[in-house]
Amino acid sequence: MAGSAVSEELDRLIHERIRLGIVSALAANDSLSFADLRDVLGTTDGNLSVHARKLEDAGYVRVSKGFEARKPKTEYSLTAKGRRALEAYLAQMEQILSAAREALERT
Amino acid sequence: MTLPTHEERENAKQTLEYIRRTMESASSYTAMAGSGMVGVGVIGLIASGVAARLGDAADLRVWVPAAAVAIVVTGSANAHKASRMGVPLWSGAFRKLAWVMTPVLLAGMVLTIALGQQGAAALIPGMWLALYGAGVTAGGTLSVRAVRAMGVAVLCLGTIALLQPQWGGPMLTVGFGVLHVIFGILLITRHGG
Repeated sequence: MAGSAVSEELDRLIHERIRLGIVSALAANDSLSFADLRDVLGTTDGNLSVHARKLEDAGYVRVSKGFEARKPKTEYSLTAKGRRALEAYLAQMEQILSAAREALERT
Repeated sequence: MTLPTHEERENAKQTLEYIRRTMESASSYTAMAGSGMVGVGVIGLIASGVAARLGDAADLRVWVPAAAVAIVVTGSANAHKASRMGVPLWSGAFRKLAWVMTPVLLAGMVLTIALGQQGAAALIPGMWLALYGAGVTAGGTLSVRAVRAMGVAVLCLGTIALLQPQWGGPMLTVGFGVLHVIFGILLITRHGG
């Protein structure tokens, strides 16, 4: 489709639904465990792992691995870079809506 | 900027709604306070002990005040945890939880009166546990797995107490007391308080 300049500038990394969900869920919490994140997003272990890895590689999320009651536990948190990316993405979404609203008001 | 297409506009609306919904459910997901659950468990243990001493496991003079105190304790603990986490208490998940639990509690009140009037008071402990367990199981779909697991366990105890009413007292002790303490500690240690 022929999109506007704004939609072409979107951060494709967090535009994908599961990755956007991960970033949004982490923005509302200091950190979330792998299991909590999976349940909040209603996704599978494999799907979450793949998308979380992409965000980790981009420096958007921080992963800490440890043990709890002798069981491995993975905790995710949002980095400053990830928070800035979400804020920029939100601003772009709002820009699309306000441009549409202005166009509507002009007609 | 170039005028956004209708598709882009709709997509932006849906995306913002998705972000809002995800943040809301993620923030309230772990906001169920374990300390409140432990408090309810302690109240349950005391109430079941006092009721047993009075000779009636479902003595309303004990359980009605106990339920009122438990609601206040849970509400305060959840409010404290939500404030500590910086999330609104009356968020989507808590609102839905209230919609699940309120009809369950009202049905429990009506059934308590009805069973008492019909001379079937021995079934009251089982009915309380079964209804509460069903409500917590349904409401627990909005929270961590531990909450759902506790709901199922309480529901099972209710079933036993309904089929074997002579075990009603001990089942109340385990369901409203012991299980709340155990799962409360689980929430404190694994889900931030």
